[in-house]
Amino acid sequence: MMLLCDFHIHTTYSDGSVELRRTIDLFGQAAFDVIAITDHVVNGDNSIGKFAQRFNLSVREDNFDEYMGHIRREAERAWDKYGMLVIPGVEISKNHLTSEKSAHLLLIDIKDFIPACWNYEKIFLEAREQDALIVACHPHYMSDGSRDTLFLWNNREKYAKYIDAWEVANRDDVFNVISLKKYPYVANSDFHKARHLYSWKTLLNCEKDTAAVKQCIKHNKGVAITLFRN
Amino acid sequence: MGIFWLFASLTFLGLIAYGFQIWAIRSYLSTPCDCGEGHALPRLFPPVSILKPLKGLDDNLYDNLISFCNQDYPEYEIIFSLQSHNDPAFKVARKIREKCPDRNITVIVEESNAGLNPKVNNLLPAYKASRYEYILISDSNVMVDEKYLREITSHIENPAAGHEIGLVSNMIKGVGSRSLGAVFENLHLNSFVMGSVCFLDKFLRMPCVVGKSMLMCKKDLEAIGGLKAVKNILAEDYVLGERMRKSGKKVVLSSYMVQNVNQYWGIKRFLNRHTRWGKLRWKLGGGKYIFELLGNPVFMSALPIVFWQCSKLTVTFAILTSLLKVAGDFYLGKKTGTELDNPFLYLLAPFKDLLIGIIWPVPIVSNTVVWRGNRYSIGKNSILSPYPETGFWSLRYRIMDAIKERFA
Repeated sequence: MMLLCDFHIHTTYSDGSVELRRTIDLFGQAAFDVIAITDHVVNGDNSIGKFAQRFNLSVREDNFDEYMGHIRREAERAWDKYGMLVIPGVEISKNHLTSEKSAHLLLIDIKDFIPACWNYEKIFLEAREQDALIVACHPHYMSDGSRDTLFLWNNREKYAKYIDAWEVANRDDVFNVISLKKYPYVANSDFHKARHLYSWKTLLNCEKDTAAVKQCIKHNKGVAITLFRN
Repeated sequence: MGIFWLFASLTFLGLIAYGFQIWAIRSYLSTPCDCGEGHALPRLFPPVSILKPLKGLDDNLYDNLISFCNQDYPEYEIIFSLQSHNDPAFKVARKIREKCPDRNITVIVEESNAGLNPKVNNLLPAYKASRYEYILISDSNVMVDEKYLREITSHIENPAAGHEIGLVSNMIKGVGSRSLGAVFENLHLNSFVMGSVCFLDKFLRMPCVVGKSMLMCKKDLEAIGGLKAVKNILAEDYVLGERMRKSGKKVVLSSYMVQNVNQYWGIKRFLNRHTRWGKLRWKLGGGKYIFELLGNPVFMSALPIVFWQCSKLTVTFAILTSLLKVAGDFYLGKKTGTELDNPFLYLLAPFKDLLIGIIWPVPIVSNTVVWRGNRYSIGKNSILSPYPETGFWSLRYRIMDAIKERFA
């Protein structure tokens, strides 16, 4: 049976409304196989980012170790109790006033802190160095319009070579441009609230371990998406 | 002023009724759970088939199901029954079976359209597959501790009671609130629902079976027509209890409380459930449903503000009544072990009661229920009939559906 996965989940470490432990339990109780916790790391080089950091809506360098330690402890519990693999990650969030300049990136299985104010090449190379999986999230126009982050899509000729997968679906939105371009894809919930459990998900046909999951997404064989509904 | 005194008297009656409900709950709680210890005669532990109809992901589903695998009981089987492999609960059931290989767990996936009640449809294949003489029907949103089976079977096998007992059900407590709707739901379960069930059972000798946990012997169930006899009844649990009682068997309310886990409910879901349950009670109880309004003193105390005037007297009266109700709910929470994480959340109880009062008339004017995605008409004794998809009477629903679809 394919693994039911969600690689884009926020907790109260950034702007999610459900604490890490309860988030793990929500997904575990629903029999998920693999999830990645990906709280925002926001760029602090403009007023939007400074606001997010001021109100603890971002993982910062000074609490990154605590964040990772907490995820690791919860990952052990999730494995013992639910047989669910939990992978630590972050969502590098480069927020600007215009959607054309904004971009969000999931770095899955990250080991050390990567600041969001670095330039894109530096972030990609550092993530590769750490053997993290790089996913471009909500890369195209979304139904609510307020969260559009178009920079990576608009500059895909330049950056696609660094990106391991693109979100073809995020929560309720589907981005057909990703399939038209034949880019590797995943689908995620962008979980912030309990009700976001019911959204687009990824199905993977691979072993339930971090290396196999990353490999499966990179090769993008045995990958499917499903709209998870109750 | 007459209006004020009328509603004040009704409020006073409601508070007295609430006091009796608290008394009834207390008296049940003071009945010790009989888990097999301290018997003069050695107890028997008959093998039991636990039937678990599953449909969708309930809050806390994994823990709910696994709590039934941890029973301190010699011999039992668990049958998870679903209508479709695509049901998200299927994966949970499979995972539970893998997690507990030493338990006798069967997962049945079979589409059954025997009747209109989806829960009974789901139960029928599980019932057919069950091996033991005693069956325990248990909802998927229920969690128990390891003594549950010992306690519930002790009633049937109690040597003093002989074999007079036909059905054992349990008290229900709502736990796990993590959202406003869940707080409302659990407050209501732990005050009005629990209080009413205990009150009816203790003072009026009216068994009020709630189907979250029902233990029966197959031959007793078959004697009243089996599950198929209630396939088109919405309140199949209550009707089974009634038929069992009429057949001369006792219907027992165990003092063991099963936990109904409600964590992430929205207000809409809370209102939908209690409108549906209200319709059941209206169809089952008829005129007695009117008395429910008297059992809502908070709502009664607020009516003089609406129908007479908003003055210092009426507002003070409503606030004092609300505070008394909050104190009662808080006390019940402590007594039943269902305390909310934050005691200040009990201050929401009057708002919940007002909402319940506002939806109270809905069952009188509407006989339609939407349950698990299907729309039905309910008739006397909660008999279901499919709601017509065409014709004049379904027009308003078709219009509403079109509007909802348009703005989704």
